[in-house]
Amino acid sequence: MLFLTRTLPFLFCFVFGVTSWIIYYVPHEYAQTIEREFALWLRLVFAFAYVLGLVSLLSLHWAKIRQRQAGWAYSLIVYISFGVMMLFVVYNDGNGPFAPQETTGPYQWTFINVHVASSATMFSLLAFFISSAAYRTFRARTPEAAILLVSAIIVMLGRVPIGAYISDVIPEAMQWLMSVPNMAAKRGILLGVSLGAIATSLRIIFGIERSYLGGGDD
Amino acid sequence: MERLINIDRRIIFVFVFLGVAIPLLVDIHLPIKPTPTVRSVYDEIERISIEDPDRPVLVSFSYGASTVPEMVPMTRAILRHLFSRGRKVVGICLWPEAVGIAQPIMDELAAEFGMKYGTDYAFLGYKPGQHAVVLNLGQSVAGTFPFDTAGTAIGDLPVLDGAKNLKDFSLVFDFAAGDSMEFWWIPFGQEKHRFPFAGGCTAVMAPDLYPFLQSKQLVGLLGGLAGAAEYETIIGVPGSATAGMEPQSVTHLIIILFILLGNTVYFITRRRGGTV
Amino acid sequence: MSKITSCIAIAGIFLRVAAGAQEPVKIEVFDTPNDAGGSLTITWPLSTSAQTSEYRIYVATAADGPFQLAATTTAPALKSTEPTLFGHAEANDQFHVLHFTDHDTEGGGEPMPLRDGTAYFVRLGVTTDGDELFSDVHSAEPGGNWFNTAKWNNLIISVGLTLVILFYISVARRKDLFIRRIAGLEALDEALGRATEMGKSVLFVHGLKEMDKISTIAAVSILGRVAQRTARFDTDLRVANVDPVVMSVSQEVVKEAYLQQGRPDAYRPDSIFMAATEQFSYAAAVAGIMVRERPAAHIMMGYFYAESMLLAETGSTTGAIQIAGTDAYTQLPFFVTTCDYTLMGEELYAASAYLSREPKLLGSLKGQDLGKALIIGLVLVGTALASFEVDFLTHLFASL
Repeated sequence: MLFLTRTLPFLFCFVFGVTSWIIYYVPHEYAQTIEREFALWLRLVFAFAYVLGLVSLLSLHWAKIRQRQAGWAYSLIVYISFGVMMLFVVYNDGNGPFAPQETTGPYQWTFINVHVASSATMFSLLAFFISSAAYRTFRARTPEAAILLVSAIIVMLGRVPIGAYISDVIPEAMQWLMSVPNMAAKRGILLGVSLGAIATSLRIIFGIERSYLGGGDD
Repeated sequence: MERLINIDRRIIFVFVFLGVAIPLLVDIHLPIKPTPTVRSVYDEIERISIEDPDRPVLVSFSYGASTVPEMVPMTRAILRHLFSRGRKVVGICLWPEAVGIAQPIMDELAAEFGMKYGTDYAFLGYKPGQHAVVLNLGQSVAGTFPFDTAGTAIGDLPVLDGAKNLKDFSLVFDFAAGDSMEFWWIPFGQEKHRFPFAGGCTAVMAPDLYPFLQSKQLVGLLGGLAGAAEYETIIGVPGSATAGMEPQSVTHLIIILFILLGNTVYFITRRRGGTV
Repeated sequence: MSKITSCIAIAGIFLRVAAGAQEPVKIEVFDTPNDAGGSLTITWPLSTSAQTSEYRIYVATAADGPFQLAATTTAPALKSTEPTLFGHAEANDQFHVLHFTDHDTEGGGEPMPLRDGTAYFVRLGVTTDGDELFSDVHSAEPGGNWFNTAKWNNLIISVGLTLVILFYISVARRKDLFIRRIAGLEALDEALGRATEMGKSVLFVHGLKEMDKISTIAAVSILGRVAQRTARFDTDLRVANVDPVVMSVSQEVVKEAYLQQGRPDAYRPDSIFMAATEQFSYAAAVAGIMVRERPAAHIMMGYFYAESMLLAETGSTTGAIQIAGTDAYTQLPFFVTTCDYTLMGEELYAASAYLSREPKLLGSLKGQDLGKALIIGLVLVGTALASFEVDFLTHLFASL
C-alpha cells in the first residue's frame, strides 16, 4: 500500500519531471514526440479532473440533502439546476444529444441570461467593495502611503477618458507609472516567485517535498 | 467628524451606483485617447494584413461568464478589425465557458462581413489541458483539434490549409481573464516558437503583463473596458466599451473624491489631536 | 577536371568579368541547427547589385541534378535577424539566410519534404536584370539535433541553481540557517490565540488553484502548521475549499496534524468542506460564513483572483484579524489594504519554512536567496555595462 501511496507517486514525479526538463533542451524529433505524449496525457488528466469535480460536487450536495444539513434546500437547487441544464443539452434545440451543440435554444438562453448574468453581477460587486476599501484604507499616514495615494489617483484618472480631458499630462504620467515603477515591481516579484516555484518544483521532483500527497513526511 | 471617518459603506455604494447609472442615462461624450499598448495591437494587425495576408490568425478565448462585460467588447472590436481586413480567423477556447460566449460573436461578426465558415473562418471549440493544449498546438494544430465544433475534420477546413502548428499563424491573439497569457501562452507557446503574440485582458490583470510588453513577447495589450474603448476609437466603430467609459470616468472620480474626503477628515482629526 | 578544362573555365571567368558580368555568389549550406530535422539552411553575401530581383534555391539528390526548386524569395532575411543561430557578430548584417524544408517534384504535385540523413546538393540562382546566375553546388544532410545550443545559458543557470538549492538543503540538515522575521507569520500565533480566547473559530481559505500549483502546496503546508496549533489550543478550525483534490489533501494534512498533537478525538472531517466549485459561488459562500459565523481569524493563503477583494473586504467588516498570503501580483493591493498582515510573493513559499524550520525548506529558501542575489548583481552590472553599449552580458543572458 505504501508503494502505491508514496513510492509510485515519487517515481512518477521524478521520471516525468526530469524527462520534461531534459526535453526542453533537446530539439530532436524523438524528444518532441515524448513532449507531445506528455502534453496529451496531461490533457487527459485535466479532462478526468472535470469528472472528478462533478462527482464530488454532486455527492457533497447529496449528502447534505440526505442528512438534511443546514442549507440543504440550496443543495436541492444545485441538483435541479444540473438536471435542467442536462436536459437542455440532451434536447439540443431539437437536434438531440449526438448532434453538435447548437448556439441557439434553451441551453444557450439559460447560459447567457442566467449564468452569465449572475456571474457578471457577482463580479460587478467588486466595484462597490473597492470603493469602500479605498475610502477606508487610502490614508496618507506616512510619506510612502502619500506617494501610493497620489499614484493611485493618477492611474485611476489616466485609465479613463476624463484624465485626458483634464490634462494630457495625466495619461502620460499613468503610462509612465505603469511602464516603469509598476513593471519594475512586477518583475521583481515575478523573479522571486519564479525562483520559489523552481525550488518547490525541484523539491517535488526529487521527492523532498511531499505535502501534496497529504499527511506527514514519512 | 467621527461619522465621516467611519462612513457607512452603504452610502459609498449608493454614490457608486449613481455614478454608474446617471451617465448611462445622460448623453455625455468624452474623447478617448488610445494608449501606445493598444495602438501596437492595431498596428500589428495592419502590418500583417499587408505583409502576411495569406496566413490565418489564431484567436484564443480564455474567459468566462463573470468577465463578459469587460471581455466581450474587446472581442467584438478585435474580430471586427480582423474581418474588416479580410483576415482568415481560427477561434479556439482554453476555458470551457468561453465556447458559449465566443462562438455566437464570431458567427455574428463573420456574417456581417460576408465571411464563409470553413473558408474564411472556423471555430474549433474547447479542449481541456490549459498549457498542455498550447504545447500540443506548437507541434500540430490538427493533432490537438482534430475536429471543429460541428464535427468537421480539420483537413476539410480550407481556412487551416498550411497551418500545421503555431508558427504557421501570422498572429496569435489571446483574450484572457485568468492565467492563460502569462502562464500558458507565453512560456509554452511564444517563448518556444516566437510567433507574433498579442492579447486582451481584464483591467486588473493588465499590470501583470507589462514586463512581457517590454521584453516584446507581447506585441500589444488591451487592458479592460478602457482598452476595448480605445480600440473601438481606433477602428472608428464605437460600441459598448465606448459607452461604458462615461460611467467608468464618473465612478473613478467619485472614488477619488471619497479618498480625498477621507484624507481631509483624517488630517483635520489628527490636527485636533484625535485618534483615527 | 583536366588542365585544359580548367583553363577554359578560368578564361570564361575572365571573359565574364571583362564583360562586366557578376561573379557566382559564394554560398554556404548546412543542416539547420537546433531543430527537429528535415531542414537545410543556406547563407550568402548581400547582393551589391541594386538590380537583383529574386533568389531561387534549387535542390537535387545528385551533384549533377536534376535540380528542383525549393524556395523563392525577393526579400531574404539577414543573418543578424537570427542571433540564436549566428550570434551577434556585426558581419551578420552582410549575409542573407534562408531555411527550407521541401522541394518541388517533377511533374508538379505536393512538395517533397527533405529527408534526414539524405545528402542534398544545393545551388542558388540569383536573377539580376532578367538573367539568372547560379552559384556553385554545395552539399549538406538535414538531421535532428540532440541539443539546442541556443539554450546553453539556460541549462547552465538551471543546473547551477539546482545544485545550489540541493547543496543548501544538505547544509540545512547539519546546521541552523537564519531566516528573517516575517511579520504576518509572527502574527499567526497572535491570531490563533485571539480566536482561542474569544472561543471562536479560525477560518482558513486556500485560494482557487489546483493542488499541482506551488501556491496551493505552500498554502496546504501552512494549513498543516495552523492545524497543529489549533489542535494544541483546542480552537475550532474551518477550512473552505473550492477543489475536491485540495479538499482531500487538506483533510489528510489536518488529520495528521491533530494526530501528531495527540488530539485525534478533536479532529472533525466536516470542518474541512467544499464551499463551492465556482469562483464567485465560493466567494459568496465564504463571505456568508464570515458574516454569519464570525470567525475570530481569517487566514487566506494561496492564489486568488477577483474574489480576493470580496473576501477580504467582507472579512474586514466583521472585525476579525486577517492574515493573507498570495503570489498573485494583481491581488496584493487588495489584501494589503484590507488585511492586517500580508505575505507577498515568495513570502508565501517562505512561510512554510518559517513555521516548520524544516531543513529541506530552509535550505531551498537559502538557495533561492542566493539565486536572487546573483540576479540582482547581474542586473546591476549588466545595466551599467549596457549604459556604455557593452552588450556581451545582455547577450549572454538573452532568452534565445
